[in-house]
Amino acid sequence: MTVMTHLPDLRALERQAFSKFYEDGLFDILLGLMMVAIAFGAVIQDWLASELASFAVMLAAAVVLVSSFTILRVRLLRPRLGDFKPRPERRRRITATRLVLLGSMVLGVVAFGIGGVAGGTGTPPATVEVLLPVVWFVNATVVLGLMAYLLDVPRFYLYGVLFGLVGPLLIWPDVLWGVRVPPPLAFGILAAPILAIGVWKLVHFVRTYPVRVNPEPEADLGDR
Amino acid sequence: MGVDRLIHEPARLSIMANLFVVESANATYLLQQTGLTWGNLGSHLTRLETAGYVAIEKGYRGRKPHTMVALTDEGRTAFRRYRAAMQEALGGLTD
Repeated sequence: MTVMTHLPDLRALERQAFSKFYEDGLFDILLGLMMVAIAFGAVIQDWLASELASFAVMLAAAVVLVSSFTILRVRLLRPRLGDFKPRPERRRRITATRLVLLGSMVLGVVAFGIGGVAGGTGTPPATVEVLLPVVWFVNATVVLGLMAYLLDVPRFYLYGVLFGLVGPLLIWPDVLWGVRVPPPLAFGILAAPILAIGVWKLVHFVRTYPVRVNPEPEADLGDR
Repeated sequence: MGVDRLIHEPARLSIMANLFVVESANATYLLQQTGLTWGNLGSHLTRLETAGYVAIEKGYRGRKPHTMVALTDEGRTAFRRYRAAMQEALGGLTD
């Protein structure tokens, strides 16, 4: 039993309780699979020579993955960790995280569009090739870094760096040494640790937090 | 300043502290956070509810019963007062 025998550190208690909801590994797996989906998008772009088809595949994959993630998360977490409504300060942090993610998506779509327009208008490839990885890296590290900070989940800092390295790994070896790293390899190498951590965390989570079975209906609480 | 004995009991202190850092929570959350059994949690919540420190709101999520527990304003004030009293009492101690 983990009852308290001394004055609790309330800030630490709130952080511990909230960050426990990210110990299921599902977000890690979602991020890893998103990277795999982007890699497939790139492969499809090469096959069909169509950026629109590639974009549609990535968008569809994102919708399927995020919907599955949301449903799975509720089914996995609620019977094990329960449910709570955070205090206003934490709710502001969650809203800020959503805004950051939304902003990042908009930036990604704009960058994708600029890349397409630049490719179509014959902008010197060198400019795009040098700048795009930088934009990618900064975007990924800032977004996932902010998520790590706002949600109190430090491993997201590492994911920011791993996700951010995809851009430079895809483009700079080609520009500098003429070595083309295939997108599935670049994404795969960097997504593998994220997926591995996610699966390990998921297994650990399911073992650590069994489903709580109420011997009496929950509605009986407080009726004694 | 006297120490509120209702809150001072370790299991209830744990429940009060865990409810203090959220707006409301269900029983599974409290079980997970405190490590209490269903029976213990229920009886401690009843005592806290009787004292006016917690409010138990019963409702439904879909067809399933869903109960949320929250500290009342009185409960929050009592918990703050308890912390202040304990800090004052323990602050004067030396090694």
